[in-house]
Amino acid sequence: MTIPADLKYTKDHEWVRIEGDNATFGVTDHAQEALGDIVFVELPEEGRAMAIGDAFAVVESVKAVSDVYAPIVSEVIEGNETLEASPEKVNEDPYGDGWIVKVKVTDGDTSHLMDAAAYQAFLDAA
Amino acid sequence: MSSSSETLSKTALFDEHIRLDGKMVPFAGFEMPVQYPLGALKEYQAVRDGGAGIFDISHMGQVRVTGPDALAFLQHVTTNDVSKLVDGQVHYSALLNDQGTFIDDITTYRIDKNSYYLCINAANRHKDVAHLKHHAAGFEVTVSDESDETALLALQGEKAQSLLQSLTENDLESVGYYRFAVTTVRGAKATVSRTGYTGEDGFEIYLPNSAAAAVWQALENAGAIPIGLAARDMLRTEMGYALYGHEISDAVTPVEARLMWITKLDKGDFLGRAAVEKRKGEGARLAMVALKLTGRGIPREHYKIIADGREIGEVTSGMHSPLAGAGVAIGYIEPEYIDAGELSIDIRGKAVPAERTKTPFVRSNVRK
Repeated sequence: MTIPADLKYTKDHEWVRIEGDNATFGVTDHAQEALGDIVFVELPEEGRAMAIGDAFAVVESVKAVSDVYAPIVSEVIEGNETLEASPEKVNEDPYGDGWIVKVKVTDGDTSHLMDAAAYQAFLDAA
Repeated sequence: MSSSSETLSKTALFDEHIRLDGKMVPFAGFEMPVQYPLGALKEYQAVRDGGAGIFDISHMGQVRVTGPDALAFLQHVTTNDVSKLVDGQVHYSALLNDQGTFIDDITTYRIDKNSYYLCINAANRHKDVAHLKHHAAGFEVTVSDESDETALLALQGEKAQSLLQSLTENDLESVGYYRFAVTTVRGAKATVSRTGYTGEDGFEIYLPNSAAAAVWQALENAGAIPIGLAARDMLRTEMGYALYGHEISDAVTPVEARLMWITKLDKGDFLGRAAVEKRKGEGARLAMVALKLTGRGIPREHYKIIADGREIGEVTSGMHSPLAGAGVAIGYIEPEYIDAGELSIDIRGKAVPAERTKTPFVRSNVRK
């Protein structure tokens, strides 16, 4: 189970990588493993404004449909269109090629998110 | 599902699933593997792409029917024409209630003229056995529920025969489609039938519980890949095979479920016959459709089927078909839409267009 040290995490198993005014969201290694083989990803429209906790994307495995929730207040720049043809990249590389959306950060407050150590502890306690 | 683990039954292969790190879920009152670490897609591919998969389907029930009236009794309680079976032959059939709707779908095995064997759905086991025993009054038959003593493995895929042949002396080449042999597998008494639920060649193997783990391990060592419930459902949905609780239920008759081919109205009277004949005359209340999405998305059970801007039906089984490269679904719609109108499926509020197609959605490789 990989939990990169430079990312922030939610209790719903999303990750956030903040780079200046922009950020990237995806689902964690734990999430992809729990979901199983991902066969479909529904991406949000460009320009969509998101509040914390908004369901902005859908990830479907063979058996389950799961919403992906926005970790911070932000606006969609682009969805990862590669996932439309290759949804398995979420399984293969959840923190890399399997990213789901790039956003413009509207409110950079991340105090409600977990760092890697806290997320690890959260998983251990579950 | 909220069943606690102590209320769930375990099959004779439970320890194998744990050893294999299967992801266990509640299913029809049993703790069953939904997938193994290989994952549902690769498990599915192992069966479709020239390999062989082993499935634990021991949750299914088995009922033995014996006695001089066995044939007459089964003609009365099942829909198919049991008089057409010869020794060593099996057919698909159903149990209906007085309204002509389904109690269960089953397979009937003829061992000899006084001895038959039924395979029934796990979730319906107690209902079926009570129904059979109730209607056995007046017939000289014994109805015995052997489910608890019996393990059932399915071995499916192109390599199934060669893998199983190494464990049995019976020449499997002589066992045709929907035929069976009472034989031994790895020294244990077994019934081996060339049947399945995947659209591939293969066998279902009935064994005493005590022999199940050794046979499972031998098949695994020979190269068969363990397959969980998720891949099993993909394989059967791609074939358009009906599943109780989805396409088949006590809400529909064989007329709606397109199962008149197993409902022989001309064989004489049987339970539900009058109601089915009446429904056939009136016409189906729901029409079964097979749909392939032309837009993106995965249709799933209970999603609404839309025409003319309104709901006209519901998906009973749906999936992303790797072979068809699209979402495929089976469902019931209002009969007037069977051939007319543009259909779509409501996926999270979006009407995704779908075209009518036929099942199986992909090529069947069963040996006919």
